[in-house]
Amino acid sequence: MKSRITLSAGLCLLLLLLATAPVWNLIPPALAQDGDASEPVELSAQVREFFETNEEGKPVVPAELQEYYGQLPDHARKLFSKAVEAGLISSAAHARDLLSLKLSPDKMELVLKDNCILCHTDKDMQSEETLWHIRDDGSGSTTLILQNFLADVHFRQGLSCSGCHGGHPDQTEMSDDIYERWPDSERRKVDRTWIPQFCGRCHSDPAFMRGFNPSLPTDQLAKYRESKHGQLLLGKGDSKAAQCVSCHGVHGIQGSDSRRSTTFKSNIPATCGKCHADAKYMAGYKTEDGSPLPTTQLKQYRKSVHGQALLVDGDQGAPACNDCHGNHAAMPPQISSVSEVCRTCHSGNGKLFDGSKHKQVFSTHGWPECAKCHGTHDISKPSDTMLITEPGHLCFDCHTRYAKDNPICNATAAHFHERITTMEAAQANFEQMTHTLAAKGLDVDALAASLSELNDALRQSRSAVHAFDRSDFDEVADAGLKAIETGDAGITKSEKEYRFRRKGLLFSIAVMVFLALMLYLKIRQVEAHQKSS
Amino acid sequence: MNQPAISNPVYRWLDRRYSLGNLVEFLKHKEVPLGDHPMVWYYLGGTTLFFFLVQIATGLLLLLYYKPGEASSYESIRFITTKVPFGWLIRSVHCWSAHLMIVSLTVHMFSTMMLKAYRPPREITWITGFLLFAIGLGFGFSGYLLPWNELAYFATSVGTDSVKAVPGIGEWLLQVMRGGHDVSINTLYRFFALHVVALPLLIFALISIHLLLIQRQGMAPPLTHESKGPGMKFFPNFLLRDLLLWLLCLIGLMILAVMLPYGPGVPGVEWELGLKANPLQPAYPGIKPEWYFLWIYQLLKEFPPHLWVMEGPQAALLMVSVLMGSWALVPWLDRKARADKPSPGFSDYGVGAILFVVFLTLKAWDIGGHGHGAEVDVRAVARVCAWWTLGLAALITVFRFLVYRHRWFLFSGGIALHVALHGLLGMSYLRALVAAAVVVVIAWALTLVTGSSARTMRRVSQ
Repeated sequence: MKSRITLSAGLCLLLLLLATAPVWNLIPPALAQDGDASEPVELSAQVREFFETNEEGKPVVPAELQEYYGQLPDHARKLFSKAVEAGLISSAAHARDLLSLKLSPDKMELVLKDNCILCHTDKDMQSEETLWHIRDDGSGSTTLILQNFLADVHFRQGLSCSGCHGGHPDQTEMSDDIYERWPDSERRKVDRTWIPQFCGRCHSDPAFMRGFNPSLPTDQLAKYRESKHGQLLLGKGDSKAAQCVSCHGVHGIQGSDSRRSTTFKSNIPATCGKCHADAKYMAGYKTEDGSPLPTTQLKQYRKSVHGQALLVDGDQGAPACNDCHGNHAAMPPQISSVSEVCRTCHSGNGKLFDGSKHKQVFSTHGWPECAKCHGTHDISKPSDTMLITEPGHLCFDCHTRYAKDNPICNATAAHFHERITTMEAAQANFEQMTHTLAAKGLDVDALAASLSELNDALRQSRSAVHAFDRSDFDEVADAGLKAIETGDAGITKSEKEYRFRRKGLLFSIAVMVFLALMLYLKIRQVEAHQKSS
Repeated sequence: MNQPAISNPVYRWLDRRYSLGNLVEFLKHKEVPLGDHPMVWYYLGGTTLFFFLVQIATGLLLLLYYKPGEASSYESIRFITTKVPFGWLIRSVHCWSAHLMIVSLTVHMFSTMMLKAYRPPREITWITGFLLFAIGLGFGFSGYLLPWNELAYFATSVGTDSVKAVPGIGEWLLQVMRGGHDVSINTLYRFFALHVVALPLLIFALISIHLLLIQRQGMAPPLTHESKGPGMKFFPNFLLRDLLLWLLCLIGLMILAVMLPYGPGVPGVEWELGLKANPLQPAYPGIKPEWYFLWIYQLLKEFPPHLWVMEGPQAALLMVSVLMGSWALVPWLDRKARADKPSPGFSDYGVGAILFVVFLTLKAWDIGGHGHGAEVDVRAVARVCAWWTLGLAALITVFRFLVYRHRWFLFSGGIALHVALHGLLGMSYLRALVAAAVVVVIAWALTLVTGSSARTMRRVSQ
């Protein structure tokens, strides 16, 4: 009885469940959102007038932008209508220009609340000097571009025009305090000495900056004062010297982690090169020894191993100008410090050099350690040919000139070169053999391991050259020679295995052909027997 | 009943218990039809069986060391090929034999189609053969994933993804196949069970039925066969010849397995282990399924995302199902052959199917595209493949015209027209197919009308 009741109840539930099946696939309607596009939008009379204005038979504000306007939240639309009524958006063309950016609603509200932006984007009200272009179409100023300004790191933190220029963005009349913070416009154009101090008002204030970006240093101004640029600008009043705006730009400043930023790693060479690769601009500047400051650095850097890695391969770990010269404290590295600059990345080679006989000799001659052999901006990938003991090669030429009585040097360089080229040849052979043997279906695990060991040994040997000592070098090079031995043995073994396979195949084919022949003869025999009987 | 004169004591012991006399008598009289037709087609079932037996033997040996699992599948295959003595040979033979089995199976199926060996009373033999073909493909698909390497992983992802198009149960079926939303180690467990348990059980049963039917009914004589005396004795004459061919196949198999251990290096016919599967990596371009699935893969690509009320892949799968279904039902559709009359239409249907599959397969290989992945010039591929296919079509047609005196080329002509419209004139694949189909239907209708009016005329004049 009990089980019958349970069964009936179960069946009823099942039926109930099945009865609801047709509604399972129904999706609950989305909750109506603020500013739902499906609802008709109430337009104020003036906005409607703008939207209905035609030019050459076409609406000035295209349907697509009117639709975008319709999708803005109520609050943004109200702000837009208010700006139109106040005459801050004074024409259909002005309305079109602002809507054409298709900003997100929150950003659009910021723009519509900022009377500075509204007035200064109005072509009918501004002169070419004060007019902000909506986007960079190449027709006017490169600094007064609204689209860039809206992406500016300051604007995104809530700092708009009045933050630097002063004034009240909620008022329709310009107040007198604008420009009071700065020199007048005529002086401003020729005298740039006020800029570092002006930016430093915020950027040198840790308490203020903590509210925006606590990780950003606040010692830029202090460093800048000590830099060559700072010395020229602040010390000598040379307004041609780089200041904040020269590198970071204005009205479109991006954080250095943004690819569009002028201070993004791979953009830095071009940013520095803007002045330093311009011979005309740099004319008159001298190095410490009084010779004219060269302007070929950028060209050389682009071709160098560092430039290729950063600009061509996109390796963000490769050094740009600031990694050797510093950022805000940019200075040419002195002979004493240039090798330290290299050591920040190439510390292993630096240590080997420090323990070498060369260290003292270089110091005696006053040579900039690394740069003496490898160069500065034009550093190319070091070649093993530098070690060749013949005229025209670095080690030989330098020793012939400065240490020709030392018989050990050439022998050491020749030893290095011989070992390295041996390893290099073996490396190429192993790479090819790994591929060839693997294609034949042979086990190349051991060979691949030898190749990996050889690669390590070769890399370390090339580094060990900086100790200029045979025993230090041999310590790592011997591991490479051992790897060559193991690898060669592996290749021999694999080739033997391959020969065995082929011989085995030939033998088994011979056996099978013999069997096939026997079978064929058997068939002949059987059929001959059948015919005769 | 005459007792066979066999004096072997083992035979006599067995005969006493199981009365083998009838069987021996049956085998003694079993014959293979002899005539003008070439004998070669009779051996293809045997070679398929040979490659299958090689699969069983090498598969068993691989199972001794293969360990399915996320951390062991790839590693165990590496171990087999690098450390186990002759492991590399066993894997290479297993892979080569798998492909050769499908080749042999396909040629066997097409020869059966052309010779109309499916006609009564051998319909069930055809159906079991068709199912064996499907299971053979299933073996290939399930075995491909087992090494758990990159190629296998992504090819299986692409392959299983196409079942989503099955109407209604697509998503469910996909999850059943994969054991989850994506291809994972659960998929491998399922495929492993399928490959070494479920499919072998099924295939053994079907092979038994298939062979039993062939032994019971004998091999089918061709339609035009005129008996010229007794046929070739199955035992021992045909069997010895079969063994000889098996031995030659074994020689070929060994040469290929040793000289090309990872296959000929053509996409879809390669099995170098490469890197271990990494489900978190994006699929690299140019992933292709095995060669026998390439035509379906290409057909799926030829369809637009939406076609009338259907999704593109759904329409493509529907087309494949209709084609395969019609292929399976040929013994019943071919009424002329059922009445032991020549049925040139179905011979031509077979040739049309070959051209259709060849064109799609060549296209899937991007022949003439001068590049890989997105760089391939699709128009150039279509053009070059069309020329190759049309060349093949011309060759087959001339051969059939001169040697077999065939005069019915409607289907193969239709496919050639479709290939030319698409490849040479640049029409889209589907439009070209529809245009060619319309031409074929009109031409067929005209043939029927003129044929029936000629018959009427003959009747009237009589």
